[in-house]
Amino acid sequence: MSTVSEPLVGSSRSLSAAKRHKSIRKNSRRIYSAYQDHQQGSSDDEDKEEERVDSNDPEEMFQNIQYQKEIIANIRTRPWPMRRKLKVLKQAREIVLKYEGRLTRTRGYQTAGADLLKKLSRVLYNIVVLFIPWEVRIKKIESHFGSGVASYFIFLRWLFGINIVLTIMTGAFIVLPELLAGAPFGTTRSKTIPKEHMASAQDLDTIWSLGGYLQYSVLFYGYYGRLRKIGSAGYRLPLAYFLVGMAVFAYSFIILLRKMAKNSRLSLASASDENFTFCWRVFCAWDYLIGNPEAAESKGAAIVNNIREAIVEEQEKKKDTSLAVLISLRILANILVLLSLAGSIYIIYFVVERSQKLEQEKPELTLWEKNEVSVVVSLITMIAPSAFELVSQLEMYHPRTSLRFQLARVLVLYLGNLYSLIIALLDKVNSMSSAVPVSPGNWSDPSSFLATISQPEVDSLSTLVSEISEPRHSTITTIATLLNVRNTSTSSPGSFSNQTSLFEKNTRSQQDPCWETYVGQEMLKLSIIDMIFTVASILLIDFIRGLVVRYLSDCCCWDLESKFPEYGEFKIAENVLHLIYNQGMIWMGAFFSPCLPAFNVLKLIGLMYLRSWAVLTCNVPHQQVFRASRSNNFYLAMLLFMLFLCMLPTVFAIVRYRPSQHCGPFSGQEKIYDIISETVASDFPLWFSKVMSYVTSPVVVLPALLLLFMLIYYLQAIARSLKFTNNQLRMQLQTERTEDKKKVFQMAAARLNAPEAAADKKPDQQESDITSQEASLNTPSPQRNGSVTNFSSPVRHGNSIRTITQSASRAHLNRGRVAGSVRSPTVTILPKHRPEHIPNRAPPFVFGPSGTCRSKSYHHMAYNPPARYSDNIHSDPLYRKAIRSIHPVEAAGIITAQSYGGRRGHTTRYVIVNEHEPRKKLLRSSTRIPRHYLMEEPAEILELYPRNIKRYTPRATQHQPHPHRAHLSHQHLSEEEEDEEDGKGRRRMVSGKAHRPRSLSDLHQPAHFYIGDHVERHVSVVKGAHTRARVRYGGQGEDEEENDEGEMDWGDLELNSRVQANVRAADSLLVRTRRHIHSPDRHCQSPARTRHMESFVKPKMRPKLETPLTESDSASLASSSDQQNSSTDQYIQVIHNKEHHLKADAGQGKLAKKKSKTNFDLNVIESNDLVCSNV
Amino acid sequence: MKLLHGRYRELAPHLVPLDYTNNPDIRVPPTLIVTMPELKENPFRDRIVETFSEDGHGNLSFNDFVDMFSALCETSPRELKTIYAFKIYDFNRDNFICKEDLKKTLNKLTKGELSPEEVLLVCDKSMEEADLDGDSKLSFSDFENMVSKAPDFLSNFHVRI
Repeated sequence: MSTVSEPLVGSSRSLSAAKRHKSIRKNSRRIYSAYQDHQQGSSDDEDKEEERVDSNDPEEMFQNIQYQKEIIANIRTRPWPMRRKLKVLKQAREIVLKYEGRLTRTRGYQTAGADLLKKLSRVLYNIVVLFIPWEVRIKKIESHFGSGVASYFIFLRWLFGINIVLTIMTGAFIVLPELLAGAPFGTTRSKTIPKEHMASAQDLDTIWSLGGYLQYSVLFYGYYGRLRKIGSAGYRLPLAYFLVGMAVFAYSFIILLRKMAKNSRLSLASASDENFTFCWRVFCAWDYLIGNPEAAESKGAAIVNNIREAIVEEQEKKKDTSLAVLISLRILANILVLLSLAGSIYIIYFVVERSQKLEQEKPELTLWEKNEVSVVVSLITMIAPSAFELVSQLEMYHPRTSLRFQLARVLVLYLGNLYSLIIALLDKVNSMSSAVPVSPGNWSDPSSFLATISQPEVDSLSTLVSEISEPRHSTITTIATLLNVRNTSTSSPGSFSNQTSLFEKNTRSQQDPCWETYVGQEMLKLSIIDMIFTVASILLIDFIRGLVVRYLSDCCCWDLESKFPEYGEFKIAENVLHLIYNQGMIWMGAFFSPCLPAFNVLKLIGLMYLRSWAVLTCNVPHQQVFRASRSNNFYLAMLLFMLFLCMLPTVFAIVRYRPSQHCGPFSGQEKIYDIISETVASDFPLWFSKVMSYVTSPVVVLPALLLLFMLIYYLQAIARSLKFTNNQLRMQLQTERTEDKKKVFQMAAARLNAPEAAADKKPDQQESDITSQEASLNTPSPQRNGSVTNFSSPVRHGNSIRTITQSASRAHLNRGRVAGSVRSPTVTILPKHRPEHIPNRAPPFVFGPSGTCRSKSYHHMAYNPPARYSDNIHSDPLYRKAIRSIHPVEAAGIITAQSYGGRRGHTTRYVIVNEHEPRKKLLRSSTRIPRHYLMEEPAEILELYPRNIKRYTPRATQHQPHPHRAHLSHQHLSEEEEDEEDGKGRRRMVSGKAHRPRSLSDLHQPAHFYIGDHVERHVSVVKGAHTRARVRYGGQGEDEEENDEGEMDWGDLELNSRVQANVRAADSLLVRTRRHIHSPDRHCQSPARTRHMESFVKPKMRPKLETPLTESDSASLASSSDQQNSSTDQYIQVIHNKEHHLKADAGQGKLAKKKSKTNFDLNVIESNDLVCSNV
Repeated sequence: MKLLHGRYRELAPHLVPLDYTNNPDIRVPPTLIVTMPELKENPFRDRIVETFSEDGHGNLSFNDFVDMFSALCETSPRELKTIYAFKIYDFNRDNFICKEDLKKTLNKLTKGELSPEEVLLVCDKSMEEADLDGDSKLSFSDFENMVSKAPDFLSNFHVRI
């Protein structure tokens, strides 16, 4: 008793010591193990326990903490059930908390601070989200109608943001200064309402057409003063006006391009050319956000349509029916579209002309006549898209292409509208500005005379007015009276009726030339009317229709909801286009009407609420799926296009036309941009203007342009080459992936074939190596055997003495041989094995010469060969195993024949055990907890021994319990051959399972890493049972393929099953022999121990043994996947193994022994079962 | 969290206690879960619930419930989503999407509006497209490869609560 217990204790101690040595690495291992072990939640806890015991070294603690933190950081990405996540998280946090304080105070505080910061930032983030405008609303829409519809609103919000910035720019730098420091209303002529308009200045229709007070307000260009500097600070308003006007465009450009770049970066991943048309339609079509039944329905319909389309496309890829008809139809459709485009352009131009004429001919315009232009434009923008849609049905394009056509056409239409409008306006402007010099022809001298006269007159008057108004605080009424006074004053001196009329004309001619205001007015008017039409269309077309459809569908003879009127669809693309058009108007008019962005902000707010309300109440999503992710940049590209095109007329007007002479900040200048040169000339030092003149000279500009072109070309070339490499890399990735797949499948196929083919294969060498590895697992024991020589005799007494002896003898032979031949460390030994394999298979005498074995073993050998060859293909692997087992012996260097003898007897029992062993190992390895070793295993051992004893003496008693167990194990084996692999395989499986989701996806590299970890783990496990592990690793080092191992295992499995069935005696023998290999070591010790232990812990045994089995089964599922990884990574393993060897050699022979003992014990028990069943 | 629990409780007020301090083992049956507005229109709702339930029958404990929404939330990583999407579409849980699974997916998606021939054609075609290794079933890596290139998988595969 004392002898037994002491080594145990010693082993535990040395174990912990060993752990400390490698603790750093182990920590990492542990962490991963926590991930990897699905089934063994309990083990994690124990792990932790162990952790506490052994980590004192600060470095290691730090590492540990780092790892735990890693866990915490990555826990979200793991596909585990929440409970496990929570557990691991809690555990990791505990460890971090516990050790962090120990490490250094400051570090602890730091992390605490960081935590606090993180929490705060999270809260802040949440608050910020609350303040993002319409976030909640958009999310709600998104959750009802999917991301497509939401993208419209997100786009709208983004535009809103841009307009806010534009508003701030114009507001802060133009409008506010003008309001605060500019000349007050009514002080200058450009800021006063002419007398004859005074009466109607407050009329609704005047206001409506943006005349009257509105016309003479900060809304429009004309109101702004021409003074170079205003206010006490000397704010240069005209300069600011010009710069802001340009900045609006510049800012829009920059923000747009940035957004586009960002988007394209985001969508880079999905930019591949590959197409999974059907798969995407099946797996990625459903928008999980949809929660509204109607949306779901239409989405479902859209998906069905989509799939149908794809089918039809697939079916009709080749045949093209009635091509001629189709082409003619398409041509017709395009002609129609072009006609309507031309028509709309002509109408707009015509209307502008007419309105101009009307304005000149009629003093009083009706409401219609005033708003004719914008109403017509809005009508066209509303109606034409629907017409286009009708036309596009003629074309019978694929829905997506037709959608594209539709979008393109609508865009062209909008652009055409805007352009024809602005051109008509500019035309008018042209005629207006030319009218001033030309008009003298009509009115001849008087007008010009008056014009000249009026100037001083007005000046004096204005001074007069200001004088009067200053005391009285010029209110509007006072001004009006003053103006009357002025009128009378001018008329009274001359007192010609003629003159008054002339004056009126004159004032008008003065006021009309303010074409900038006029353009601004038109744009604003257009914007307003557009808004009204939008609102109206939403209310009428969507809301009323929705109401009608919903409530009248009962009293109608057809189903309103699914047939004719239906519900209004929310056409994302067209709505987005409308937004773009709207923004285009803003850009176009912003220079002439600085408040246009502000107005647009209001408009967008209104639109947001109205649209979202309409969408939620009375719309269904468009059936044509407009891809949100891609469309984002599509929208932006259109917007960019629009911006560019809208900028052109403005810039053209700025460059081409002379600013109005009597209104606006640039009045009196030849060109608007003269303000820049003027500023440069007057406000900057002389050298600057000189430099500027140089810079702007063609000498500099031309080379700069050239340089730019070169740069563009160069960048483009780079981009092209990058694209090329990108493509190549992708191809490479693809081929690699497919190759890996192929490999995997080959392996799988090989595995399947392995059981049958194993015997035939001559490439067996590798296999044999593998097998030897497996065998080596168990081998460590020989050392002990050496010490415990004489147990053999009792064993033999069993019924199957013969077989036993045979198998045993083989094992002995191998060992003896190897031992004799190879004394060097395992690694070196391995190469030698290969040549030896063949001899093993060959007749028995081969063995004979090799061994240091005793005579007994030889005898046995002789018996064996016949049995083997005759019966089983599978025997080969077994032999190999035996060979392997030799290695440990060598390492130990202590193998005596006596021990062999002892082994034989025991070996018979082990047949099945070996396979189970690994499982147990798995458990242990995964848990890696000292406790297990200390607590559980001893118990097992105790139990096991008793059994052995029992077995030997009273066999009958054992039979009953065993068979069922054996069956268990067998069933597992038989059920899933793949599952059954040796210890290694299983370990891998466990780990493999955990990793599976990742490793597959991440190509092989990740797998490598994981495997590395596993190996480490193995090593750690090995610590427990050093000798065994060592041997095994050595074997691995030799072999470069694990597959073979797998094959081997199968062979074993089959054998086992056969044994169960009792089909062939020989088979059973073989099986036994294998087990022998593993078993011998333990047996030597076992008898002694067994007796001691007998009385101990029997009851515990059962449950423990069985649970491991089941666990291993579940784990085994993953094994197949693991294999691939492992195969690639083998060399890593080898390295580890070596390390391990070194360590192991360094000095824990004792531990190893103990471990091995325990394992063996387990095996023994199972083996007993098997034997029983066989018998 | 509180919100989630609120939602969870709202499904079965008689089953779910407000107090979770002593970890009661409570599961809400799938019939109740799928009535959530977030799920009730989803053709795969049953599969979603089953995938996330620990017992595999769709009974969701609160942990599972949280799990479900953490995997389906907007910010969860693509890999995780892919894993769960694969699980959802793997009807028979054999870790492969085979033709049967595809058929079921299609039928759920289209509510049976496609004719059997069409379904078959689509199945064949999708297999052809995505099955890189030629075993006529989609392994996870096939699936991942396919989904990683889908432009709107991420935007589509999430649920807002």
